[in-house]
Amino acid sequence: MQHTATISRLKATGAPPRLSGFAQWADRHFKWLLVAPAVLLILALSVYPLLFSLVVSFINYDFQVPGHAFVGLKNFERVVFDPVARWSLLLTAWLSGISVAIEFVLGLLVALTMVRSFPGRGVIMSILIVPLFISPVIVGQAWTLLLQRPFGPTNYILTQLLGQEVTIGWMTESPWLYVSLIIADVWQWTPFMFVILLAGLTAIPPNLYEAAELDGVNAWQAFWAITLPHLAPMMLLALTFRLLDAIRMFDTIFIMTGGGPGTRTYTASYYLYTVGFTQFHLSQATAGSWLFLIFTALVVMLLVRRLLKTEPV
Amino acid sequence: MAAVAPVRRPKRRSIPVGRILLLGFFLVFVLWPLYWMFNTSIKPSDDYLTVPPVWFPTAPTLVHYEAALFAYRGLDGLINSLIISLSATVLSALFGTLMAYSLARYNTGGQHLSFWVLSQRFLPPIGIVLPVFLIYRGVGLYDTHIGLIVAYTVFTLPVSVWMMFAYFRGMPKSMEEAALVDGCTRWEAFWRVAVPLAAPGIVAAAVFAFIACWTEFFFALILTSRTAFTLPTVFRAFIGFQGAQYGEAAALAIVSLVPSIALGVLAQRHLVRGLTLGAVRG
Repeated sequence: MQHTATISRLKATGAPPRLSGFAQWADRHFKWLLVAPAVLLILALSVYPLLFSLVVSFINYDFQVPGHAFVGLKNFERVVFDPVARWSLLLTAWLSGISVAIEFVLGLLVALTMVRSFPGRGVIMSILIVPLFISPVIVGQAWTLLLQRPFGPTNYILTQLLGQEVTIGWMTESPWLYVSLIIADVWQWTPFMFVILLAGLTAIPPNLYEAAELDGVNAWQAFWAITLPHLAPMMLLALTFRLLDAIRMFDTIFIMTGGGPGTRTYTASYYLYTVGFTQFHLSQATAGSWLFLIFTALVVMLLVRRLLKTEPV
Repeated sequence: MAAVAPVRRPKRRSIPVGRILLLGFFLVFVLWPLYWMFNTSIKPSDDYLTVPPVWFPTAPTLVHYEAALFAYRGLDGLINSLIISLSATVLSALFGTLMAYSLARYNTGGQHLSFWVLSQRFLPPIGIVLPVFLIYRGVGLYDTHIGLIVAYTVFTLPVSVWMMFAYFRGMPKSMEEAALVDGCTRWEAFWRVAVPLAAPGIVAAAVFAFIACWTEFFFALILTSRTAFTLPTVFRAFIGFQGAQYGEAAALAIVSLVPSIALGVLAQRHLVRGLTLGAVRG
């Protein structure tokens, strides 16, 4: 307030505004002062912890073994040669790959039905996006209520539909427990694909389709010739974002199967969590999470960098 | 031209059976778990295991809500979630807006700084949370509100920064330039001119930050215990269903999802920007 008063007074006399020493300094370094709080926070709570965990992964930091001796690559070896670790990485790739593929196809199909406006479209839109605003923990809980024997109604409904007794242990029997986890993920994240792909579809100029129709092109050909190439950047974006989130899968597994039976549903995140927080081999867990981090960073470099360059601004 | 019109007309009027079936199926798929959860939350415990299942409870009851909120400390979790999510949202929107303005108007740090912030969004939380847990135990922030507020602020910053970055880039510079020519300092041009114009974007970014904090589980699971635990972590009590706690779990879920769904649906105009960190304009 004071400054504006000063400014208007000085402007009235025709002199350039004079500010105090601090204000001048602040004005000169304005752009760096603005980024400072966010950058300092990220440094303190993301970069520093990462460096700290790098240190931890080379020493002994185990609540069951006293002392912090330097152990070299031993922690990394333990992870790399742990069959459960390899299994969890493989399962992470499979589960996220299948879930994201189903979400993509289903999301695209639903988006195609919603492109043109029709009565009730707004209400349906509001309903379809609801899963995005629910905690994955609650999604896991909701599907547990539906699937778990004997309480869940799913087996009863299937029995009625198929005309024969269905007694599937959705949370305990392979392969059904994977089906359950994928269904929960598909339920929550298909709307993500749907929303982004719909935004891409509505951005395609409608006169392209009109021109195609005049040329006697059928709907299927129009999809391949117009929709797909125009939608491709958006598809890549949706797939990248979704895949990078899917490989973290943890919450629904924590609630629905607890990683079990045995270690059958350990994903990478769940494996590292149990190593660190139920077995308390913290240095082994940090070594493993660094390996997982490098793995993710490679994917980010490849996919996100490319996206930034083709990004429509 | 005239010959084309009769061909097009019947095509428009035909009923798209396939589309209606697909959309109908998907609507049922989305609504069914929500309905069953609500149904379970108001069902008396005696109706849990009947065959056929009780599709519509005839004697609805609120006992499960009472148990979930008090016996299972759901209310404490709700209050903690509100304190922590709101505080982190305010900090994230504030610091995010400051940084985004600098990135958008002064190109601070070039592409490297903005990409560095974005890359934070894609770090696997497990890699961060293990060392943060050790650090928090060392400095006494473990299981405190402040500890989780700081963690959530950092965890939502990439989204806030990128949403606001896109918003400022879409805003014309002319007003701020005029203010600078008139002798305003850069801070005044930002705070008095740009921020009021960007208010809708800031609100939208804040809504998505709030939803992210409200629904977050992993950080809260590891960084809190008996004091600063948030609502999603209360669900640990229902894992395995040692007793018959279906109703309590469902009731707590309903209580927890109402605020975030309400906010999300209200802000749905900004949803595409929120989901893509501003890369796509909705």
